Amino acid sequence: MTSGKGRRPNETEHVMDNPRIAVLVVEDEAVIRMSIVEELEDAGFEVLEASNAAQAIDILIANSRIEVMFTDIDMPGGVDGLKLAASVRDRWPPIKIIVTSGHRRIDVDALPVEARFMTKPYDPNVVIRSIREMTLN
Amino acid sequence: MTAVTPLHPEASLSLALAVIASSSAPIVLLDGNLCVIAASTSFYQAFLIDPKTAAAKKFSQLGAGEWNVAQLSVLLEATAAGIADVHGYEMDLKRPAQNTRRLVLSAQKLDHADASVRLLLTVADVTDARVAEKVKDDLLRDKAILLKEVQHRVANSLQIIASILLQSARKVQSEETRTHLTSAHSRVMSIAAVQQQLAASSVGEVELRSYFEQLCRSLGASMIHDPEQLSIDVNVDKTVTDANISVSLGLVVTELVINALKHAFPNQRKGKITVDYHAKGKDWTLQVGDDGIGMPAKADDAKPGLGTGIVEALSNQLGAEITVADAMPGTRVSIIHRDDVVITDAPQAA
Repeated sequence: MTSGKGRRPNETEHVMDNPRIAVLVVEDEAVIRMSIVEELEDAGFEVLEASNAAQAIDILIANSRIEVMFTDIDMPGGVDGLKLAASVRDRWPPIKIIVTSGHRRIDVDALPVEARFMTKPYDPNVVIRSIREMTLN
Repeated sequence: MTAVTPLHPEASLSLALAVIASSSAPIVLLDGNLCVIAASTSFYQAFLIDPKTAAAKKFSQLGAGEWNVAQLSVLLEATAAGIADVHGYEMDLKRPAQNTRRLVLSAQKLDHADASVRLLLTVADVTDARVAEKVKDDLLRDKAILLKEVQHRVANSLQIIASILLQSARKVQSEETRTHLTSAHSRVMSIAAVQQQLAASSVGEVELRSYFEQLCRSLGASMIHDPEQLSIDVNVDKTVTDANISVSLGLVVTELVINALKHAFPNQRKGKITVDYHAKGKDWTLQVGDDGIGMPAKADDAKPGLGTGIVEALSNQLGAEITVADAMPGTRVSIIHRDDVVITDAPQAA
């Protein structure tokens, strides 16, 4: 997909004119992942998906156009979403990050600066709105 | 009243020794050189010491040397010299072929008529109590972890249910079915919001204001396409309710807000929905109003939907009455609970 590139820099930053922001969704629960991926695609984003942190890192390495990562915190396989978020902040600092969890309390200090937290269950519309707000500039 | 007869000195010594011997808590009477004068049967039994070997022996030489603890000896000497007291000194009693026991020792110099130095040493074995405490602490920690885990699972399950409902809404062709499915999604999210409030509280109670605010934010996010056009105002007092009542109130709010969004503002009409909740004592009033087009002239022509059924059932469960009024413009639905069935005409302050 190249439609996200070549956009004139002074183009009006209206959200609907911003059709192909690439978003990486990291979620181990298949049904939840499928649903949020389709919602984000319907909202006009280019969506890549991973079911664990290792896959996510591979996809990030292969796709430099990813602007936003939306990740679950509680995932199997040793690296949880917070550690993933921390390594993304270190390696790909421009990527905006949204983390989500069913646990109510999240140590906000553990979150990267350009990050937001959402409790599960989240509403896809809120996720979409957040992604648009975070990528406005 | 009979006066207490003073004891003869020999009799009083014999009484003292008898008291020590029969003490159910392990105690030892020492002289100024820390030699054993007497000890309770409970002491000998608890620490497996033969009473015959103990008489006149130094305390530190009892048993197989397990009492020979340098720090304890120093403390006891200081106590004998009158410059310290042993109070709650803890030590591990290590004996060959025996489990280590955790002891708490206290010693004090006895104040008595005789000039000779006497120390009373008490020895409490707290091993079992400590184990029980640790088991209790572990259980409490396990319980807290389990509770967090359950909350996490509930949240995840609700997310799966919400995802499936939204997926279904996306796949169906019929607009009516889609509306039903998105309403069902909103209902699930309404219950989920209570769950999140509960997870944040430790007492199983929900702060209605923050709950309704979260609920209406979420309803707005999923059902209002243009926030410039429609808004939801929440005006709730500081009421705190238990989880069950909160779930019912939240579902009522969800239904009434969905209903207003669906019917009150056709053709991109601008407007506002207000959610009010106020309690006074045990009485409370929940109001959801809008400034939309108002009720249809003939309310009976439409078959009441699921939403109406839910509001009626829950109001009934809450012991509340529903009134629907023309708010000119718009509609105002009030759910009123009066704890006192007999309405008293208390004079109102002007």
